[in-house]
Order: sequence, then structure tokens, then C-alpha cells
Amino acid sequence: MTRRTWLAALGVAAAALVVGMCVTVAYALSTGFERAARQADLPDVLVRFDPARRAEVDARLRTLPGLEARSYRDEVTDVGLRAGGHATDRGAVHVVQGGRRGYAVVAGHDLRASRADVLVEPGLARAWGLRPGSTLDVGTLGPLRVAGEALEPDNVAYPVASAARVYVGRDDVARVFGSGEQAVSLAQLWLHPGASTDVALTQARAQSFGVRGLSFITRSGVRTLVGQAAGIVVALLVAFSLVALGAAAVMLGTAAHADVQRRLPALGVRRALGFSRRALAVAAARRAGGLAVPAALAGLALGWALARGPTDALLATLNEAPPGTAIVGPLGIGLVAVVALVVVCSTWPAWTATAAAPAALLRGGELRGRRGPRRPRAAAAERRLPPSVAVLGARMVAARRARYAGVVAVLGACAAVVLLMLALASLLERLRDDPATLGKRYSLTVSADASAVPDVEAVPGVRAAAARWQLHAVDSFALGEDLRLVAFAGNHVPFEAPPLAAGRRLASDGEAEVGVGLADTLGLAPGGTLGVQLVDGREVRFRVAGVVRALDNEGRIAYVRPARLGAAVDFNPNIAVKLEPGADRAAVARALDERGFPPRRTAGATGQNGALLGVLGDVLRVVAGGVALVVLYALVQALALTAAERRPTLALLRSLGAPARTLAVVLAGAGAALVVPAAALAIALEELLLAPVVAGLAADYADLPLTAGVDQVALVAAGLSALALLAAAWVARRVRREPIAPALKEAA
Amino acid sequence: MAVLRAHHLVKSYGRGRAARRILDGAALEVARGELVAIVGRSGSGKSTLLHLLGGLDWPEAGWVEVAGERLVARDADHIRARRVGFVFQAFHLVGELTGLENVLLAARVPGAAPSTAERGTDLVERLGLGPVAGALPHELSGGEQQRFAIARALAGDPDVVLADEPTGNLDAASGALVLDLLRGAADAGRAVLVVTHEHEATGRADRVLELRDGRLPG
Repeated sequence: MTRRTWLAALGVAAAALVVGMCVTVAYALSTGFERAARQADLPDVLVRFDPARRAEVDARLRTLPGLEARSYRDEVTDVGLRAGGHATDRGAVHVVQGGRRGYAVVAGHDLRASRADVLVEPGLARAWGLRPGSTLDVGTLGPLRVAGEALEPDNVAYPVASAARVYVGRDDVARVFGSGEQAVSLAQLWLHPGASTDVALTQARAQSFGVRGLSFITRSGVRTLVGQAAGIVVALLVAFSLVALGAAAVMLGTAAHADVQRRLPALGVRRALGFSRRALAVAAARRAGGLAVPAALAGLALGWALARGPTDALLATLNEAPPGTAIVGPLGIGLVAVVALVVVCSTWPAWTATAAAPAALLRGGELRGRRGPRRPRAAAAERRLPPSVAVLGARMVAARRARYAGVVAVLGACAAVVLLMLALASLLERLRDDPATLGKRYSLTVSADASAVPDVEAVPGVRAAAARWQLHAVDSFALGEDLRLVAFAGNHVPFEAPPLAAGRRLASDGEAEVGVGLADTLGLAPGGTLGVQLVDGREVRFRVAGVVRALDNEGRIAYVRPARLGAAVDFNPNIAVKLEPGADRAAVARALDERGFPPRRTAGATGQNGALLGVLGDVLRVVAGGVALVVLYALVQALALTAAERRPTLALLRSLGAPARTLAVVLAGAGAALVVPAAALAIALEELLLAPVVAGLAADYADLPLTAGVDQVALVAAGLSALALLAAAWVARRVRREPIAPALKEAA
Repeated sequence: MAVLRAHHLVKSYGRGRAARRILDGAALEVARGELVAIVGRSGSGKSTLLHLLGGLDWPEAGWVEVAGERLVARDADHIRARRVGFVFQAFHLVGELTGLENVLLAARVPGAAPSTAERGTDLVERLGLGPVAGALPHELSGGEQQRFAIARALAGDPDVVLADEPTGNLDAASGALVLDLLRGAADAGRAVLVVTHEHEATGRADRVLELRDGRLPG
């Protein structure tokens, strides 16, 4: 293969690499939940309630319309778990009562009667290094042998989820606590295919009188909750795949066009010998296909290999299953798309170029016929130096205007995508680490009653303090929708205030500000009514004053004042602490501790889905790295084509004594002519198009500030410049190795 | 004293059974003020010889000296920039630069003499190119283009001018003008070597050497 062929193959492979990465990530994430749910036989509805007699609950549920099967568990939380050097007191023990399981055993074997064993969720097994045969201490049940790993995608995995889930058989419980009737607190309901979930839920609520602490969540609700953050990334990656494919098409098209122009005389000879246009186009298609298939295969395989690791890690964090061999199908479609693109991009220029008469082709076609712009003749010679050789390089690369515009567009689009990826990754990091992103304007919290506020405010470095309550509730009208209530004594805005999306701030005890996620789920708008059922069973109603773009708890949050919450606020009181500007948080924390108020640092999303956000950020950065490879290829290709077409000019410079570095400067000038407008285009594209579109995708539940920061713009600009220099150096090295004399024999 | 010396130059093209020795011990000396014409049938190696003499290509054996400096790959750029000027049959003007800018391009090359720009500008005027100095190459006639190319070759005040078929693309009148310029360059103290197959060129030469069987007689 010639160098030119290698370069073309590399281009196809680079485009296929990006496609492979995007297909791998997008397919795995978009199908991960369904795959895991199918594998685990996840029920259509999960019902949680306060522990009750199984017979009592079953009497209410067995008559539900459309019910195909049901099974029960008792979920015991805050159980101590210990294995090796690991321990947690946030164990969630599911006592399995028989019937359909609702989980998949992905390692080892299922629970067996009369064996003291336990199943652990894969996240716990990974985090603690447990495997079948290991021993796990489970609260008062004592040491149990790990039988296997059970995957149940109704929640994210430990340690992203704070509770570590394990499963035991009721025989193990009976062995310790006796064989009396055991209580249950979780029902799993499978509906007949085609049965209405809404009808079943409505009926279940109607029949639930006497069952306390009731909450429902449907399979689609689980999917929404678990996949919400990944949803944007999937949409983004699918969109980016299309951008990458478009960019690849432009690159391959310009390269194919240049190649055909170079071969016009040879094509003319064949036309003169009697070959038809069709025959020449078919030959071009065969040639392109022969090149594209192995190159695209290699690129797709590499893209899959690069993306598989972070994607599998992300899926594991979400308790979802990797696609395994199912990914072959989408990758096959990607292969067909890339090969078809290459074939079309190579065949079409050959078809159109050979429309000219053979004589014109033999003369070199449009290459020789093209003329530059006319300039007025100077009246007399002015004594001045010509532009620097870098400017000469810029003029050389810009001489082919259509190709120049195409390459700038490709580079700009790719750089815009990288900017967006970096902005999104940075946002995810801020979500994880910076409470301000969630609208929290306080730095510390202390567990203390509201009466301690004056004492806390007296601590040096504390600017203000306010009592804050946070409690869980469910919507009165749709009991399956749980939400978080946050109440501040007094004005909450100085302490915690996500931006308003609609309406106004609350102004009285009877008003609430609701998150966009909650408003969207319940169809709330300013002026509407939010009815919540508190943990003590009381119902409280608030008039919706405003809708806020809250990210915390996926926007399923409501800000209220505590007056109407009654006794519910007596539990778990906290004080939010704002610091003086410039105050040392650590010093204030020490001072609070010394006064008997041990503080906690206000976190971003850490502890809820911080790890997930971190993994998402890594996925985005990997994809951004892949795009950088495409940019490098586009630059090398553009500079190599320019160098090939302008061999006589470069040879002339060498005949004048220009050393290697002068050639590098010429090509660097050409590279600068490409990357400078591309960087400007990228900033404009990101600012005006991509960021608003992607933010719009997420606008249903969050306000995502995706405009790239100065540091990210600088990083992308520096990256483009570095890639341009790298490409220029590489092409200059190649040019330098070519002999001068043959190039001088070519027509300029 | 010879400013251009070549000794026992050997150069082959092709490999195996297709190998062909183009130069087989060619030797040459050209003194300052001398215009030497190299003639020979097509494919005899005239252009190859010129490329070896200017350091655009490298011999398998033998050596070349320009103004007392041995041409080696490491210093070739520097020697070309200071000592050698080329004139090509195809002119090789850069399409994006005006005629004057093409001449002054020589001044942009690292190692060029500081006076290159001034000399180039003067040459453009002296060669009667002032009125078209701001024109792009495609707006110029063949004769004008070649005169700009000669001005570019002379702008660095080289010791040696190597011209490869300089009148090959020109009509008779323009060709005569170009040959007069090369004659003038020799009369100004430079060693000028012209590869040609035209009688008009040989008529202005001090010596005419025929390249035959890869060698130059005498």
C-alpha cells in the first residue's frame, strides 16, 4: 500500500473509531436497564409498606386486575454487615419469601432451603471483594456463606446507593427468630402482558386501607429514576455519533475528491481506451470498499475496546447489564454505514469528474484550468518583503476554497463537540463536588435543634444560620411519587435557592416552590396545589408559588415553611450554616465542634449519585479524546493534501535553501489557517447551538449551564494548536524526505 | 579560478536489470565570469547533472564544490541559500505571490544575505518588470515570468547560476532576452551553467560541453 492509501485507511479507521465508541456507549446505556430488567424478571410494580402480616397484605393484592404473579419480601434496613476488613451499618436485608424472585443470579447460585447462605448485590461483591464461598456477617443472623451475586436493577449499586443489599431465605430468619409468621414489607407485582399499570395502581390504592407507609413504584418509574442522569449522556452520544459521521463524510469526501483530481489523467486514458463512466465509477467503488472494510473494522473494534471499560463500569454502577455479544448488531450497522459512506464519497467524485471529455481529463481537468483571483497591477514595484512563509502556507491551504471550508467546518464541529463534552464533564464534577451547583449556599450543617441557632451564629466565621428540615413524603394524589420536602425557618433564599423557572418565591406558610422534576411528574404549575402525605400519615396541602430548576433528588423536591408540617419536623432537625466571605471552613468547623455542634460539610451530589457522575464524566472525556484523534487526522489529511498538491512550491523553497524548519513553518501557517477559524466556529457552535440544544434535552428536570468556561475554551484552543503543530511537523518531515528534483519537474 | 567544480560524478536510476547509469564519472570546472552550455540528447542526464551541481540531488560517487565549499547534505541548504541560484524551464513562481513577492521570497529563507531584498527590488526594476511587479504569475507572459524567476535567482547574489532549459517554454524573442540576462550575469562575475538543446543558447556560451555516455569531454 502507498502512503496515500495508508492515510486514507487511517482516516476511515479514525472515523470508524469514533462511531464505534459512540455506538458502544449509546447502545449499552440505552438498552442496559431493559436488558437487566429482563434478566432479573423485574416486577411491573414494587409496593413498599410498613411491616405487616403477609396474609393481610396478600388478601388485598391478590384480586388486583391484570395480576399475573406476586411475591413478598421483608426488607430490613440499617442492618450491620461485616466481611474481611469491611463493614457498614447500612445493610438492607431482603428476606425472600418464595415465589418469583425479581432478581437474577449473575454469579454462584440462588439461595437454597436449609443452607445458611446469602446472596449479595454485585456492587457489594465488587466493593468488598466477595465471591461465592466467602463469609458475610449479617446482623443477628451471624456469619452466612455467600452463595452468589443477585442483580436487581431497581436501584443503583452500592456504594453509589448508600445501602448495601443482601438477600437471605426465610429459613435463615426462622432459624434465629423462630418459625412464626414473618412480616413482609415489600410486594412485587407482575401484571399480564397488556394489562394497565395505572388501573392496577388505582385499585391497589383503593384497597390499601389500613396498610401504612405505602409507596408504589413502577418499572418505568425505576427506569426513569435510575437512568435520568445517563439519559442526557445517551442523547448526547447519539447526537455526537451523527456529528462524527457527518464530519467523517466531509473529510472522506474531500480526500476522495482530491484523489480523483490527482488521477484525472489516468482516468482520461481509460476513457480514451473506451471504458465507460459506469465502469470507472464501479472500479472506484470497489477500490474504496476494499480499503474501507478492513479500516472500518479495525476502527470500530478499537472504538469498542476503548469505550467498553468505562461503559461497563457505568453500567455496573447503575446495576445494569452489559450488552455482551448483542453489541455486534449495532456495530455491524455502524460498519455498513461507514463503508457505505466511504464508497459513496469515492464513487460520486469519480462519476462527476469523468463527465468531462477524455481530452479534458488527459489535460488534468479542472486542476490546470483553475485561475486565482485577479489583482490590479501595481504601477511600480514597491520595495517590501513578501508575507512570511507562514502566511504563504495559509494562502496555500486556503487556495482550495471548498475543501478549506469543509475542513474548517469539520474541525469546528469536532472542537465544538469536545467543548461541549468538557463543559458537561465539568458540570458533572461540579454537581458532585460543589453544593452551589445544587443551589445550596451554605457550607456546613450541624445536627441541632432550632433553638441552637443563636449559639451557632455566635461562632466566629459564621455569617448566618437557619434551622433546616428535610423529610420524605409522597404525593397525596399519586401515592407512587415520593418527594423530598425541605423546610427553612424564615426565608430560605439566602440559604438554598435553585433558580426560578416559573412563578415566584414562596411568601407564606401555605405556599411551596417545587422542583421542575416534581412539577413535570405531577403536572404542577404556579397556582396549582401540591398535596403531600407525610410519614405520620397526615396530609398537608400547599399552593404552588413557583417552579425551581432544582437538581437535587432529580428535581423531585419542594421548598416549604415548617409551620404546616407539625410534628413531622420534630425529627432530624438540622441547622444550615453560612460562612463569612473568606472564612476558613475547616477553622469554623473546628470551632463548632468545640462548642458541641459537630458539623458536616455540605456536599454536592456525593453520597447519592456522586460516583455515577464521576463515571459519566470519565465516559465523556474518553469520547472527547477520540474526537481529538479525528481532529488530528483531519489536520494531517488537509496538510498532507496541500503538501502533495504544492510539491513544486515546497521544492522551490528547498531549492532556495529553505531548511526543514522553514517547511514546518509553512505548514504550521497552513495549520493555523485551519484551526483559528475552526476554534472561533467551535465556540460559536457550542455557545449558540450545542449548549442550548443539550440543555433543552435536560430542561424537563434541570437547568444545565453548559456554556464552556474560559479554561475549557483555552484548553480546546491550545489542543487545536498543538495538534496543528504536530500535524505540520509530521507532514514537514515527510516532505523533507522526498527528493527535490522530481518535484521540480511537476507543473506548478 | 573555478568557482564550480565537480569530480567523477556517478548517478544511476532504477534497480536490478532496469538499472541505468546516467552519469558515469562526469567532471566539470566553471570559472567566474564564464557561461557554459551543456548539451546532449534527451535523457542523456543533463538535468540530473544540474541537480547534482546544485545540491538538489546526491551522487553515488564523486563530489561537488561551490566557491570552495564541498556540497554535503548537512550544509546543502545553507550553500544553496548563499551561493547558488536556480532558473527552471517551468519558472516555478508561487501562484499566491505577486511577481515582486516571488523575487523577494529568496530573502525570507533563513541564511539569505541581508541585501537580498534590496538587490531583488533593484533587479525587478532593471529587468523592466516594475510595471508588472504587483501582478500574479497567471497574469504575466511567459517571458515576464522567466525574468522574475531570473531576478529571484540573482537576488541573493549567488556565485553560481544553474539554468535548466530556461528558454524551453518561451517564444524566440523572450528566449533571446532571457539568454541576454544570463550572459549578463556571467559577465558580472558569476559562473553560469545552462542546460539546453537550443542553438541560440550555445551561441552565447563561452564553452559548450556535450554530455555523452554519462561523461563530459575535456
